[in-house]
Amino acid sequence: MPFRELNNVQMDILTEISNIGMGHAATALSQMIGHPVHLRVPHITVTDISQVPDYLGGAEKMTVGITLQILGDARGNIMLLFPQESAHRLLGELLGEQSKALIMNEVTISTLKEVGNILASAYLSALGNMLHKTLIPSVPLLAYDMAGAVVDYVLIDLSKSSDLAMLVETDFTGEPSSDLAIKGHFFLLPDPSTLEIFLAAAGGQQ
Amino acid sequence: MTEHIRIAEASIDRAPSVLKAYGLGSCVAVGLYDPGTGFGGLGHMLLPDRPDDSPVGSESKYVDAGIRQIVNDLVRAGANRDMLVAKVTGGANMFETSYQTLINSVGARNAKSARRTLDLLGIPIVGEEVGGNRGRTVEFDLATGNMLVYCAHTAEPVSL
Repeated sequence: MPFRELNNVQMDILTEISNIGMGHAATALSQMIGHPVHLRVPHITVTDISQVPDYLGGAEKMTVGITLQILGDARGNIMLLFPQESAHRLLGELLGEQSKALIMNEVTISTLKEVGNILASAYLSALGNMLHKTLIPSVPLLAYDMAGAVVDYVLIDLSKSSDLAMLVETDFTGEPSSDLAIKGHFFLLPDPSTLEIFLAAAGGQQ
Repeated sequence: MTEHIRIAEASIDRAPSVLKAYGLGSCVAVGLYDPGTGFGGLGHMLLPDRPDDSPVGSESKYVDAGIRQIVNDLVRAGANRDMLVAKVTGGANMFETSYQTLINSVGARNAKSARRTLDLLGIPIVGEEVGGNRGRTVEFDLATGNMLVYCAHTAEPVSL
């Protein structure tokens, strides 16, 4: 089903599913960091694929992308995107040391992949529980480059069947006292048949 | 004047315009240029081949169809078909892959499709910077036919 056919009710359902999934992911991430983190999905955007880089702050913005495949009863891809500064801050929180700039090495890469793994696993397990489906994430892959370059791989996959992409924007917020301002984008890219499974299971038929 | 060519777009213009495509990963950018008239075009394409039946979206989404569209538009605008030269960049593989088969470099297939299409059209490729695992930003200067390729992790652009 192309995304353009989604009605408001279905968009609300997907937003709600994502909020619940992100709630679980937040719990997992909070335990990892050692203090509370809230993940909120303010809205889901459906946009033309050529506009996607603009939503990520511009095609040239340096971005960390972590991608996983969805395996099990449903198929699709997940991509997590962190702007350079957010990835830097996240690493500072997790590794407890603040380098001056974002450095990519074995430790930082595997830490960020692990964050991707935790978020995706928690999200998929919540989603799966709700829909009575088994959803398993694959091994994460990572790239650190211009946003346009990082994201075009998922767009390519998507563009075979559609000209539109669905973006689940996710805000990360810490305690009010902390200056943890981490922003991320979460792409949920269900295969067209999988999207129908999600909506049917969530009771979103027209 | 600088024109921004987004994903799945292609456009033509004439000297002294500059055509730019930002943040190419697996996508390829193909620049076509007629040095005689200063007409040139740039496409930012993401899939290798346009399927024969029920293709989704615009011509400029596909490497083969996009190149043909640019050539046709250039000829219609007044460029000399026989003088056209091409420059190709992009086609990277951004993610180190453990499940190669699934994302087995669409980038490489895009670059291959560009070469094949240009070969079929008899348009020589005079500059090429493809592959690897880095993103690229392309600046195609129609005043000179010069193509600059910038990478995020290196300071100096490559000139094609």
